[in-house]
Amino acid sequence: MTPESFDPEALAEAMATLLGLTQTPESRAQTIMHLRVAAEHAEKLLSVPLDDREEPAPVFTP
Amino acid sequence: MIPELLDGSAQAIAEAVRTGTASAREIAQGTLSRVKTRNGALGAFTDMTVERALAKADAIDAARARGLDLGPLAGAPYAVKNLFDIQGLPTRAGSKINRDRPPARADATVLARLDNAGAVLIGALNMGEYAYDFTGENAHDGPSRNPHDPERMTGGSSGGSAAAVAGGLVSIALGSDTNGSIRVPSSLCGVFGLKPTYGRLSRAGAFPFVASLDHVGPLARSAGDLALAYNAMLGRDDADPAQAHMPATPVSRTLAQGAKGLRIAKLGGYFAQLAGPAAIAAVDTLARALSADRTVELAQADAARSAAYLITMVEGAAVHLERLRARRQDFDPDVADRLIAGAMLPGAWVAQAQKFRRRFRVEALELFRDVDILLAPATPCRAPKLGQKTFMLGGREMLVRPNLGLFTQPISFIGLPVVTAPVWTAAERLPIGVQIIAAPWREDLALRVASALERDGAVRAPVAKYA
Repeated sequence: MTPESFDPEALAEAMATLLGLTQTPESRAQTIMHLRVAAEHAEKLLSVPLDDREEPAPVFTP
Repeated sequence: MIPELLDGSAQAIAEAVRTGTASAREIAQGTLSRVKTRNGALGAFTDMTVERALAKADAIDAARARGLDLGPLAGAPYAVKNLFDIQGLPTRAGSKINRDRPPARADATVLARLDNAGAVLIGALNMGEYAYDFTGENAHDGPSRNPHDPERMTGGSSGGSAAAVAGGLVSIALGSDTNGSIRVPSSLCGVFGLKPTYGRLSRAGAFPFVASLDHVGPLARSAGDLALAYNAMLGRDDADPAQAHMPATPVSRTLAQGAKGLRIAKLGGYFAQLAGPAAIAAVDTLARALSADRTVELAQADAARSAAYLITMVEGAAVHLERLRARRQDFDPDVADRLIAGAMLPGAWVAQAQKFRRRFRVEALELFRDVDILLAPATPCRAPKLGQKTFMLGGREMLVRPNLGLFTQPISFIGLPVVTAPVWTAAERLPIGVQIIAAPWREDLALRVASALERDGAVRAPVAKYA
């Protein structure tokens, strides 16, 4: 999924069922608003090219 | 004499208790009385630990009578954001739901260490629900109010911590900072705040929000008190798996060394573009006071903020998913819907955000080869009004709640240590904070600069006049 193809209404609908969350219309509208904001942030983040070999920040030390 | 001491520093209180100028009991009683008188107007405290405070004060006075060492914070009153475990109280973390938890069986590590240093716990402080907040408003306990103007926000999520310090209720408060929750309220309430390096102080016994980004630290009315509290809380704690294996180096010896010789620059780019006039003026004031005429850029700070935003949404949602299923109606609606959205985001976004975090860290470390201290606004503006939902930033109307921290978020994203120092521009009755940012593990440098600015009168944290 890329930010360009991001459909917050469809995502909210599908994921609410999958996660077992019941939502009021008001809550659903707010959730969709927050998903839109998240997609804007993802667009900024994903516009930064990262090499395949780039390691993530957290290091698990067993 | 007691009121003057309570308006002063923890350091002065400890000195008075050590020399017998005041007893720890007099300080504790004076503090408890102040909290009872002033808290109704400030909404800072949610719990008071009266019996514990008086018992501790009596123990300090008894130890003095026996000639024992009382510790560097002897008798100094402090309080903690209510996400820290306090033995005997349920750790509510700003929520309604957590009040049903059993009482904590032990204090959080940092409380135990402050107590060992002689500090006296007065109670627990208001905060935004589950720390997902920059306003200081709380749907269950009411808002914490800015002591410099009670119709305005404290900022959050450590809102009660900043209100308690700015209102003269305690000398030192503890807060947590995931994306700016110490630095934003420090800025809006005009107090000093220290967010140490990620992994420096133990988070054991602090209710979690975002494991990748959570920090704990002190707020106070002087850089010296920040240093005293920080020193007392240092030290290895295996109960926090994110704590780094770094030597516990106290900062007392270097605090008075001044800023001379340090390479200091303003952060431009992202940090200048969205800052309001008050924020820009505050940074310029401190840059002039420090003779810092360079401006440098932290490339991709905007993307860093976005990455922190997404990690927060996803990790925060994971912490609360079961509660969202079972008790959605008991959440603050503004918090619940953000958390629900976080539970729905693609995993690839947050994996990419963690990869970018390492890249951004490398770029910041490169910058620190050439500078020792970076100056940046802590908030884009002074305290908004309580209930205010939006403000104008860079010509665009934006939500207050997630965006008060847009300058703090890229910095905590890579765990850099920061002291927020309060600036009062001419004829202005509301303060605004500046972030004094150092390289990882160099809390000593950020505190040195804050202390030098304080001595020069460029930054200060007076008790609010109304109080």
